Amino acid sequence: MENKFLLTIDGRELEATPGQTILEVARAHGIYIPTLCYYPGTSTAGACRVCAVEVENARTLVASCCMPASPGMVVKTDTKRVLDARRMVVELLWASGNHNCLTCEKNGDCELQDLVYAMKIEVPRFETDPPGHRIEDSNSMIRRDLDKCILCGRCVRVCSEIRGNSIIDFSMRGSKAKITPAFYDDLIDSECEFCGSCVQACPVGALTFKQARFGGRPWEVQKVRTTCPHCGAGCQMELWVHKGTIGAVYGVEDTDTENRGQLCVKGRFGLDFVHSTERLTKPLIKKNGAFHESSWDEALDLVASNFKKIQEEHGSDALGGIASSKSTNEDVYLFQKFIRVCLGTNNVDFCTRFCHTPSAVALTRAFGGGAMTNCMRLSEKADVILVSGLNLTEMCPVPGALIKKLVTSGNLKLIIVDPRRIKIIDNAEIWLSPKIGTDVAWTNGMMHVIINEDLYDHDFVENRTEEFDRLKDMVSSYTPEKVEEITGIPGEKIVEAARLYAAADNASILYGMGETQHIYGTDNVSALCNLALLTGNVGKAGTGVNTIAKQNNGQGAGDMGCLPPIYPGGQPVSNSEANEKFEKAWGTTLSMKPGITESDMVITKGNIKGLYVVGGNPMRSGPNLNNIEEVMEDMDFIVVQDMFLTETAKVADVVLPACSFAEKEGTFTNTARLIQRVRKAVDPVGESKPDWEILCELGRKMGHEWNYSSPKEIMDEIASLTPPYGGVSYDRLDKGGIRWPCPNNDHPGTPYLWKEKFNTASGKGVFFPADYNPPAELPDEEYPFILSTVKELCHLHTGSYTRYSKALAELSPDDLLGINPLDAKKLGIRDGDDVKLRSRRGEIVIGAKTSGNIPEGTVFSTFHSSKIPVNVLTTDTLDKLGMTPELKMCAVKIEPV
Amino acid sequence: MKVFRSHILICGGTGCHATGSGMVKQALTAEISRQGLTDEIRIVETGCNGFCAMGPIMVIYPDGIIYMMVQPDDVPDIVEEHLLKGRPVERLLYREPSTDEAIPEMKDIPFFAHQELRVLRNKGLIDPERIDEYIARDGYAGVAKALTEMTPEDIVQEVLDSGLRGRGGAGFPTGLKWRFAAQSKGDIKYVLCNADEGDPGAFMDRSVLEADPHAVLEGMIIAARAIGSHKGYIYCRAEYPLALRRLDIAISQAKEYGLLGDNILDTGFDFDLEIYQGAGAFVCGEETALMTSIEGNRGMPRPRPPFPAVSGLWGKPSVLNNVETLANVGQVIAKGSEWFASVGNERSKGTKVFALTGDVNNVGLVEVPMGTSLGTIVHDIGGGIPNGKKFKAAQLGGPSGGMIPVQHLNAPIDYEHVAELGAIMGSGGLIVMNEDMCPVDMARFFMDFCQDESCGKCAPCREGTKRMLEILTNICEGRGKEGDIELLEEMAYIIKDSALCGLGQTAPNPVLSTIRYFRSEYEAHIREKRCPAGVCATLFKSPCQNACPVGMDVPSYLALVRARRFDDAYTVLLRTNPFPSVCGRVCDHQCQSKCRRSTLDESLAIKFIKRFITDTAERPAVEAVPVTREETIAIIGAGPAGLTAAKDLAIRGYDVTVYEELPEPGGMTRYGIPSYRLPRTILAGEIDDIRKLGVEIVCNTRVGRDISFEQVTEDYDYVYLAPGAHKSMKMHIAGEELQGVFGGVEFLRDFNIDEAAWLSGEKSLGSKVAVIGGGNSAIDAARCAVRLGAEVTILYRRTREDMPAADEEIVAAEHEGIKIEYYVAPTEIIGENGTVTGITCQRMKTGDFDRSGRRRPMPAEGSEFTLSADSIIAAIGQSPDLSFVAEQGGISINKWDCFDLADGSKSCTTSDKAFAGGDAVTGPWTVIGAIAAGHQAAEDIDDAIRQRNGEPAWEGPADDGIVIPFEIDEDTEEQPQAVMPELEAARRKTNFDEVELGYGIDEAIKEASRCLRCDAEI
Repeated sequence: MENKFLLTIDGRELEATPGQTILEVARAHGIYIPTLCYYPGTSTAGACRVCAVEVENARTLVASCCMPASPGMVVKTDTKRVLDARRMVVELLWASGNHNCLTCEKNGDCELQDLVYAMKIEVPRFETDPPGHRIEDSNSMIRRDLDKCILCGRCVRVCSEIRGNSIIDFSMRGSKAKITPAFYDDLIDSECEFCGSCVQACPVGALTFKQARFGGRPWEVQKVRTTCPHCGAGCQMELWVHKGTIGAVYGVEDTDTENRGQLCVKGRFGLDFVHSTERLTKPLIKKNGAFHESSWDEALDLVASNFKKIQEEHGSDALGGIASSKSTNEDVYLFQKFIRVCLGTNNVDFCTRFCHTPSAVALTRAFGGGAMTNCMRLSEKADVILVSGLNLTEMCPVPGALIKKLVTSGNLKLIIVDPRRIKIIDNAEIWLSPKIGTDVAWTNGMMHVIINEDLYDHDFVENRTEEFDRLKDMVSSYTPEKVEEITGIPGEKIVEAARLYAAADNASILYGMGETQHIYGTDNVSALCNLALLTGNVGKAGTGVNTIAKQNNGQGAGDMGCLPPIYPGGQPVSNSEANEKFEKAWGTTLSMKPGITESDMVITKGNIKGLYVVGGNPMRSGPNLNNIEEVMEDMDFIVVQDMFLTETAKVADVVLPACSFAEKEGTFTNTARLIQRVRKAVDPVGESKPDWEILCELGRKMGHEWNYSSPKEIMDEIASLTPPYGGVSYDRLDKGGIRWPCPNNDHPGTPYLWKEKFNTASGKGVFFPADYNPPAELPDEEYPFILSTVKELCHLHTGSYTRYSKALAELSPDDLLGINPLDAKKLGIRDGDDVKLRSRRGEIVIGAKTSGNIPEGTVFSTFHSSKIPVNVLTTDTLDKLGMTPELKMCAVKIEPV
Repeated sequence: MKVFRSHILICGGTGCHATGSGMVKQALTAEISRQGLTDEIRIVETGCNGFCAMGPIMVIYPDGIIYMMVQPDDVPDIVEEHLLKGRPVERLLYREPSTDEAIPEMKDIPFFAHQELRVLRNKGLIDPERIDEYIARDGYAGVAKALTEMTPEDIVQEVLDSGLRGRGGAGFPTGLKWRFAAQSKGDIKYVLCNADEGDPGAFMDRSVLEADPHAVLEGMIIAARAIGSHKGYIYCRAEYPLALRRLDIAISQAKEYGLLGDNILDTGFDFDLEIYQGAGAFVCGEETALMTSIEGNRGMPRPRPPFPAVSGLWGKPSVLNNVETLANVGQVIAKGSEWFASVGNERSKGTKVFALTGDVNNVGLVEVPMGTSLGTIVHDIGGGIPNGKKFKAAQLGGPSGGMIPVQHLNAPIDYEHVAELGAIMGSGGLIVMNEDMCPVDMARFFMDFCQDESCGKCAPCREGTKRMLEILTNICEGRGKEGDIELLEEMAYIIKDSALCGLGQTAPNPVLSTIRYFRSEYEAHIREKRCPAGVCATLFKSPCQNACPVGMDVPSYLALVRARRFDDAYTVLLRTNPFPSVCGRVCDHQCQSKCRRSTLDESLAIKFIKRFITDTAERPAVEAVPVTREETIAIIGAGPAGLTAAKDLAIRGYDVTVYEELPEPGGMTRYGIPSYRLPRTILAGEIDDIRKLGVEIVCNTRVGRDISFEQVTEDYDYVYLAPGAHKSMKMHIAGEELQGVFGGVEFLRDFNIDEAAWLSGEKSLGSKVAVIGGGNSAIDAARCAVRLGAEVTILYRRTREDMPAADEEIVAAEHEGIKIEYYVAPTEIIGENGTVTGITCQRMKTGDFDRSGRRRPMPAEGSEFTLSADSIIAAIGQSPDLSFVAEQGGISINKWDCFDLADGSKSCTTSDKAFAGGDAVTGPWTVIGAIAAGHQAAEDIDDAIRQRNGEPAWEGPADDGIVIPFEIDEDTEEQPQAVMPELEAARRKTNFDEVELGYGIDEAIKEASRCLRCDAEI
């Protein structure tokens, strides 16, 4: 321990550690000092002064929240002087605003109210005199009633210090001071991301969640802790549920959570899809091209009989299943089990096929496992982070904010690789802007510099890697000049980036689909693995090659074996030992023939006759949609199980209504291998059911006695069969998440992988040198632009449920085509105009949004909307190993409408 | 180097720029070139000279002649007369206000003579835009020494030894601050200069930056060397464009000369400077807010610790000093700490610059040794208060400072003494306030400023100052209530104790300080809804009415005069004043001193118009008021107090009897004021009106002699004691018992009773008379003596400004040939054979200040001289003769021989049957004061009776129905007061005819039409 010392508070001699404030010492010893502006995790403001205490020999009272305790200090917290001052401040604050508790959402959960009550102040000595600020009601998410604001500044500090956004700040002076976005704009007109952290930080009723208004007072609600269903960050949240409706959503502030109280707009305001009137409430059967509601029995019988029929007529391998990254582990586990056991084929895959499978391939062959090697929290240990192909603040806003904070506090430098000038570049030390599809080249270029300047980690290369010479040979030709020619990145920038990355004690790589959705996606990721191995940046905290999953359970679905060649836990179906293990456990014979991928199922006609899709939406997420539509229409029988009637569901024969995350129990595994609980908060909508229940019933219809009583029981089975999950149980998860590998009950989980050795045959990291090859489709005279699909803050993937959130739709109603203003001008397009976008495969009409952050010659579009099927344009040329289409680029032409 | 025969220094400070120095310079350049003098005479535009009130200022060297308020039109004269003919231009010279004497040389002007220029040593002397001129005056010698001869530790020690303390206000030892920063670890450290001067009326730093920017740079370089910093910022408010421009020039010149930048003076030391412009937030003068602002954030203070010396700008160790502190540093190093500490007092060393503003003659920038008394600054350097007004207090330390009232003029101005008095040194803003300052309003003003400038971060400052402002505003607007003062005090202490930064911690200072020194004025606002200073406009109709002790409705009777409704005007006069004709002649007219017209040209001649009304209009007929009440009241003394009370009580239906010792009623107005000022008939008319009401006046009856006091108290239910103050005070010197020595009032009384004997020569003062004293009685006695044919000398121990007598009386006396000797005090009366032959006096010199703010006269040893005199009239003051009141009556009399009043009462003595008023309570005061006392007593006696009987309060007579016209001029043109026609001095000296002849109708109407009608509610 550090040198503890003693000080006296209220006559008691107490122990303190250096750096602790008086407040912290007092609280640690159970001495009550009230606070209002104090907010852990932010800097101390010393603004409200209610924590004032008397310190011997101090000229004035001191704010205990910011005064460091020191040895021998004599503090009094309860003298008349202190109490009078405190009381005066509380009276002043009360009188300063319209603190009308009767209709205040914070009644019963208000820190000012608590103080007034504790101090027994019946009425303040001053006449209540609210400043008369306009209530800002401009959006459907946050209500700002500044007449209730006590100007503690917590919202301001959270926004700037934790979120790194600085949307709001103090303005005006004296008692006219108020907190406002720049130029007194409404929040909706500002750059606000609506993460809602300001609301969570507000101690009074000034900032409230609009969706929770009159939706249950603090003591009337049921508070359910669960895991956010949106992105892969795994934020822990508390849902405030009143009469079956989710109202306010709070981030769980425990310091051992990934998010430490933070959420993003989707988690905070985007859960209303649960209550959408468009949810599916009954099974639907298509008759004569139209859906008709049916009973569960009828629908499931129809499904079972059709599957059986296809099995009998075309064999098991004519059937296939596509799972989703959104489902719980228990659901996807049971799904792949259903495909393997009931349908008798390994044709099971999940939506990650279209985004991240190259990662799994490349990471597995380099390190022996396809997961994120470090975790976000360990970014704190990193000196440098290279972020590539990942729009961090939009993709995973909460970890993005953490990284911004680490940069602003001076402990971290960022190298950002992105063709667009994305927001995080504001915080970057170096920005590399390559031409799309040239990632291997700049990565090789950096390694060239590192080897050339002898900056690589000799020890590590020697002791923990193999095939270095091959790498050396490969990158020797990637001089900065050559790389500049290929990528467009100035050679000196490559040198600069290489030196910065190599010089770091701990350098981490975070990447996203900008790396993987290419025909050389696997090579791209291999190049990154090579870079990390070369500099010894694997196997320790704050380093690694970290793939960022886009969806909440992208990692879990893979872990659960929703992949054609492997069982849960990466155990190959073709391995007889594994095969035997599962045959025994599942009590049936299993095929040892690896199945086909989602790409093979939906892109190539004729492979599949009967398809079972749970939560996936290939009709929007897949490439070259016109083709997929043809392929699917050609199938004999399609079952789609989802919450909404997705575009894929529309082509199905049977649609089964599934529950949302809020209606069921289960677990998600976040992008950093953290397994966390999902808890039921509301009852299922209509006759919808959790996937696992549907699968059980269907299993029984298919002749298997599946009688799981609950997801807990399923998790126990998972643990028994999946070595990295070996120590996972609901009992343990209820105390907090577990980061796999966790082989047994006593294992604490694993913050980062490959500490001592790799999971390769030799136990060493393997360099897989990659040469640069041009992309599948380059612009030409006819199709002069590159189109790249991206995602944005408010929506996920195909928007299959974020679209049903009122708040998210308000912020981001439509997909837009981002275009450089110079390009737009050449084409005669103005901001907001609709344009026709045409590729060799199809055409769409989309609104244009000009932005100088976008390079010339390239246009970017999101693909979240059902109205605009951007993916009719994209190419279905695949990465050879990952079988992932090159969604990140295709050639298009743009015409004004 | 080119030699010029003469240098003309034109002040280019902001003040002189504003008054047109730029145009003067242009004109001068043109004229000099026209006259072909370009090679002989050099024009230099300097920084602020300091004497801003007199700008544009021009100093011509080598003579050192200073010209004031120079305009372009004056330039040809200056060139022709001064530069060509060598004759100073008389009309542009400075004139001492008290003596009107022209003082040609700058060094002889008191404003400059009392100063000690160190920080401002180059002001008005060098061209601030030329580094060579600074260097020529030993500039950068400190840097050279610090960088080549001293270690950083040496520098810190030298500064520490000098005792230099922060001139920004808090007075923290500069050396100690540097030591902390020097000891902090880190490669990056900052030196910051606080040039965000924001106090209203303060411009010390601006002037230094404008006049001598290199001095600040030099200080910063030395500070940087001392703490190991290589980067500095000057945080200067954007409202100082000239300072910013000169700083810019200075920085680039210093860089050019290798005094800034890399490898300074080849010593290997690097230091660079940048200017950061503040956007005008007062709080950014607070060090942590200033740093936050430089960091690009909203300037709000942050909690300390960590202190800036450890973690300041961008979290790096930083020192922040203000402009003046840094401007001292170069000299501290160059000349040594001992030199620095050679002026000042024990704990405050060196000098301090003050921006002297407000109600003071010499507004400007002054630098004085620490410990100089406030009085010296205000009176000697500042030249006293303009327009004959009195000094009331000085606000020191800006809006967060406090007031130092008149009784503390002797206080030495240094950090500790100022704090003891409840003010702060602050950065040196010194606002002088005269008697017209309302302390509540002033506190409100400063609180308004602080509330406006509060950054809003901490609750006590943001909300607390708002509430204090609210309470102060309520008080100023007549909504004050009991308990407000106590609540203000409680809030003040809590805010001081709990606010985050210096702004909040000091914001309550003006409130505490004004409550401390002017609590009674707060109480007047709260309890009487009255603003004694006549500032809080919601509390009165017009300032003149507010100033009048009886609240005469001045605007109304002026309006009636303008409308030629003189009879109505008389009726209005009589509503509040039974003796308007008296007051029209002898009132001290406090109303006129508050007249707003005086800000335009001259105040209204209210007194003269009042007299005009009583001279011109017919006095309204008076009818007896029947006695309707059982209670009987005796009044002792038929002076204005007694008679006013008698009238008021008679109107209320009481049976009133007035006992008067002298043969006729009127008191001092009859027997003290000579008839050339107040003709007898006029007074008699107004007294008659009181008799007509039914009041019985029993003259020639002295209570205690002709009728016992016990008898009176037995015969009457209530007694009002208004015997006046008719006993001259003794001088307590040898020879006072001699024949020919008179008391002032005794002489006047005797003369007025026995006029015939004096005029016939039966009684005589002889041919040479010495009058001792400076009050109205002394002047009255002297002017009587002149009229009796004597040669009269008045001996007064202080200055003319200190004389309590009305100024017009003094002037009249001088016109009549009376000689007034100032600074003279008698030490002995000399006589032969029991009769006066002369008086020995001593010359006086000025000492420190007394509680009233006047200089105490101190005897000048060995200056005795003797005047021959046949009579001596000692008119040094009067006291009441209360020997008639029985000691056992329970009526308490104080050490000044005046009645004590019961606690909380304005007229009741310590016996509940006896009331008292007039001079017998206050000591010698004014007629109008006595009338006010009479009104008060009548009301209190009536209230006491009714309260005892359980009756409702008296309701006054019905409205007299006079509608006041409202007519004003569309445009107001400057137009002085109408002159009062007088008898010529030569003629009037021989008789007792009324001197002032009174306005004619046209004059009166014209004068009344000057009224601005402040009473109008528009």
